[in-house]
Amino acid sequence: MSLLNYIILTPIITALAILLIPANYQFVIRCAALLGSLITACFGLLAFFLFKAGLPGYQFESKIEWVKLGGININYHVGADGIAIGLIMAAAVVGFCAVAVSWKIEKQSKMFYILLLSMITGAVGAFASLDLFAFYFFNELALVPTFITIGVWGRGEDRSYAAFKITLYLTLGALVALVGLIVLYVKGGAQSLDIVDLHAAIAKTPLSPAAQAIIFPCLLFGFGTLVGLFPFHSWAPSGYGCAPSATAMMHAGILKKAGLFALLRVALPLMPEGVARWMPVLAILCVGNLLYCGFVAMRQRDLNLLIGNSSLAHMGFAFLGIASVSVIGITGTVLVMVAHAFLAALSFAISGWISQDTGTLDMGKLGGLLKRMPFIGSVMIICFLAGCGVPGFANFAGEVTVLFGAWKTFHWVVAAAAWGGLVIGGVYMLRAIRSVLHGELRSEWADAHDASSFWRQAPYAILVLALLVFGFVPNLLSDRVKPVAAEIVKQATLKAATPVAAATAKVAAQP
Amino acid sequence: MEAAHHVAENATKLQDIAWMVLFFPLICSLGTWFLTRKDRNLTAGFNIFGVVLSFILSFTLFAAYGGQSVECTPFHWLPIEGLDFRIGMHLDGITNLMLLVVTGVGSLVMIYSYSYMHEDKSFSRFFSTLSLFVFSMLGIVLADNLLMMFIFWELVGVSSYLLIGFWFQRPAAGDAAKKAFLCNRIGDFGFILGILLVWSAAGSLNFSELATKFHDNPALLGRFASLAGVLVFMGAMGKSAQFPLHVWLPDAMEGPTPVSALIHAATMVAAGVYMLCRVHFLLALPAAWPHALSFLSWFSAADIVAWIGGFTSLLAALMAVQQNDIKRILAYSTLSQLGYMVMAAGLGAPSGNPSAAMYHLVTHAFFKALLFLGAGSVIHACHHEQDIWKMGGLRFKLPVTFWTFVIGTAALAGVPSFSGFYSKDDILVTALEHNPVLFGVAVLVAALTTFYMFRLVIVTFFGKSRSEEAGHAHESPAPMRWVLIILAVPSWGLAWLPVGSFLTRQFVPGYHAHAGDILFGPFNHNPIAAIFGFGAVIFGFSAAVSCYWNAKTDPLPAKLGVWSRAMRNRFYFDEIYEAIFVPLHDLVSRIAGWFDEWIISGLGVRGISGTVEIAGRALRVVQTGSLQTYTLLFAVGIVFVAWLVIK
Repeated sequence: MSLLNYIILTPIITALAILLIPANYQFVIRCAALLGSLITACFGLLAFFLFKAGLPGYQFESKIEWVKLGGININYHVGADGIAIGLIMAAAVVGFCAVAVSWKIEKQSKMFYILLLSMITGAVGAFASLDLFAFYFFNELALVPTFITIGVWGRGEDRSYAAFKITLYLTLGALVALVGLIVLYVKGGAQSLDIVDLHAAIAKTPLSPAAQAIIFPCLLFGFGTLVGLFPFHSWAPSGYGCAPSATAMMHAGILKKAGLFALLRVALPLMPEGVARWMPVLAILCVGNLLYCGFVAMRQRDLNLLIGNSSLAHMGFAFLGIASVSVIGITGTVLVMVAHAFLAALSFAISGWISQDTGTLDMGKLGGLLKRMPFIGSVMIICFLAGCGVPGFANFAGEVTVLFGAWKTFHWVVAAAAWGGLVIGGVYMLRAIRSVLHGELRSEWADAHDASSFWRQAPYAILVLALLVFGFVPNLLSDRVKPVAAEIVKQATLKAATPVAAATAKVAAQP
Repeated sequence: MEAAHHVAENATKLQDIAWMVLFFPLICSLGTWFLTRKDRNLTAGFNIFGVVLSFILSFTLFAAYGGQSVECTPFHWLPIEGLDFRIGMHLDGITNLMLLVVTGVGSLVMIYSYSYMHEDKSFSRFFSTLSLFVFSMLGIVLADNLLMMFIFWELVGVSSYLLIGFWFQRPAAGDAAKKAFLCNRIGDFGFILGILLVWSAAGSLNFSELATKFHDNPALLGRFASLAGVLVFMGAMGKSAQFPLHVWLPDAMEGPTPVSALIHAATMVAAGVYMLCRVHFLLALPAAWPHALSFLSWFSAADIVAWIGGFTSLLAALMAVQQNDIKRILAYSTLSQLGYMVMAAGLGAPSGNPSAAMYHLVTHAFFKALLFLGAGSVIHACHHEQDIWKMGGLRFKLPVTFWTFVIGTAALAGVPSFSGFYSKDDILVTALEHNPVLFGVAVLVAALTTFYMFRLVIVTFFGKSRSEEAGHAHESPAPMRWVLIILAVPSWGLAWLPVGSFLTRQFVPGYHAHAGDILFGPFNHNPIAAIFGFGAVIFGFSAAVSCYWNAKTDPLPAKLGVWSRAMRNRFYFDEIYEAIFVPLHDLVSRIAGWFDEWIISGLGVRGISGTVEIAGRALRVVQTGSLQTYTLLFAVGIVFVAWLVIK
């Protein structure tokens, strides 16, 4: 059986095992969840390093026929290319960290861990699926627990509203995307949504421009909403602001990337005309993410809202890379996606610690915490510096690659991105460090606790290490991504180039 | 052919010890964090050892290659088709000399810090961050391409941020750190855009390749030539604190004094000047602007660099005249000297020879580090008193500090036979050749420099002690004294080595110094510049003596009136920025925040949720909570899907 199956099945089997443990055996439940997610993380890393960069097609493939009913073919078909493997690895690692930081959950902890583990399965499964129905199914499997955990274990008075808002947005987004997928199913001519079959069918008979004109915007805005594309972004900060840290880590870190992933896998390679028409629009909208969300982040007093808005700003870089439709830009996008997976997880893990210990995330009330929390404080400085694009961390590698990739097509957007990343990002990140960690320690926090034992520190250390590894050696990832990005760009510009080339030829022919 | 090339690339070469020079400080920094954090002496020893080792290896490199140009084995950091991001190192005379300066001054500052910081609780954090800084700075010096320089450029900014905010419990330190980082970031914004412009036009990031390409085809950048130069210069503007981004440097004095000496005087702030010398071919391009900026068409990038440098140096010198905090005086003097160097780089670039800037950078690194460490010794002796009017009469109590400080002052003022005279003379000569107005500015700044430095010396060390702390002052411990003495040697004696002609040879191959005595060279070579320089020193010195000898208070405020207040308050630049730019950014973010809350969330979500809420309210009769709403929507979704599929 392929390694991917182990990664997908381990968390869900663990969840089923936990179902059998009596709810009052909290310690046993937690140990089981930790063990299960740790094994998943190890498998994820193993798969990442066993993956051979540069081979064509998908690796670790495995296929089981699932539903075959009339015209409907749904397969459990998994496999990984260079883009998916990085995300699968990130999902497995972040999943373990999310379980590890949830040690303080005591209310209905059994249910919580079951939901969290199904989120991990859903996330990994979505990236591994080669069948788009399975992709959608796994994505929902991860999203439903997100909503439930926010509603039940969330913090703050607004959590019902926030849970409602995030549910509404994400469900509508997913539905719009689903419409696109269904039209794709009908018009694709493959009688299935298996990505391999679809590619083969569309290579023979390309989608008609009319079909592309319907499908592409559905996918772009549907999946875009899942990522938080401006102006469909306002679910994110409030949702994360109220979510328990494990949920915020998993969603902001991992699940959000499923939208970008689907754009890269489905929308770009199959619909060159949609790409030609919509990418300039995407480039303009991502300025909204880069600048506007950055400005909104500057206004926040709540640390979680700040992180939520900043993560939207980071998604602007990912969108910009996609909009550039260049090998450099798309490689940069994937680097940003993986880097942001670790960064967002780390940020929410930190804010989770602070809110657990002090009971507030209001930056006006915090101050001088570095003195009491040398470990968490240092990790926060590291994380926030990584977040404003300091070299040495993975985010810089991704962002700078995106800037180079997009420069030739979108000068002004790149300038906006640079201003957003370097200056605005700097302003709110440093402001947060200044008001939470620096300054005099307020007397209320005189006995705040630091993460001092090995087990408490481990998840933070793992995430920092991941940011450093991909910051120092980004070619670990880029070597795997590059060939896939080149293929995507080839297909995305293949047909679109023809009319333009024809037009140019026409102009050239006229003396 | 390809294979042979590959083998050659992988073979280890002697110059690859540059990798060790670079990475020893990083290893020390991380090692401190993980291993030696608990033990002060071990930490200090470990970090000092690392930097000294780097110094020894740098010396080996200098001895082996001198002015020769060699490439090290690169590391392919992020290779993508059409864009090879690599960490590669290029050694030539300038790099080798800078390596010596950075590791040399770095080692001395670390030894000094062992005594200076001994009482501090976060001793290990200090050393670890200082090593991180040395690593980043060496990266800038060794970089063979623009992106690698940018990477380390940012890292230098970060370590400076961490060190300025070292005493993070003091609000002023936290604010100063933030300000420094953000001013640097604004500069870096221009820098990265400049890099992108150059890359998209020339298709390379490598300095030597770029130099060749621009030499072969100066029109490569087309209408963007001057814009690219100015954007890249913005990086230097941030790092070297040039007008209008100069405001962070004086505030950066909130950091511990050894940090001010190493980072905010000797090395980091000079990185901008070093970078300008590396990309001088870019500044040398003839003026060409895009249409929107055609009103600037009289100026080339080099002109703008030179004028901004000259303006900064004059502005900062005027500010320094009326400061009373010993570290602030030195900070403004650093600003002013950096302006000098930037001006020299701008003036020298069109003729392909910015060596005067590099020369002044090297001598300045030593004597300014000496002055700052001397000031640290004074502050240490006076129990952290920094107001010079509360000192006085310290020359007998702190003899070593006094004499070394005087040597540093003489070098900075430019007294003949001290190193500063010769490097400053090089700049004056360059200015005289290219731009008489800036020559006048440079002479005026030289006179002002002498004036405020001797004001500082006279008020601090002569006369009677004006406070109790100054009365009980006692000389600093041995490591600090020895570091001062060691630094005094190059501050004085660097003039006697042919550093200037060595540097000129790096830009003008085959250049030979004029025959004759090095010491009196300037008077033979270009007597006008030398006489004006020397005259400025005499004028400044006599003015300082007549104003401050035995003065109990500063006589200038009464004489200058409003001007004195403006000088003391830095011509109100900080206030102007606080009043314009900060509120502007805040206003935009306020509008964005309002828009997000009331329009996007308000109308968008609340609008939708308003309609759904009616359904929700109906549902709430059965049960409250939002999950049900979701379930409903999910069910609607499934029905919708089923309908689409079946249809």
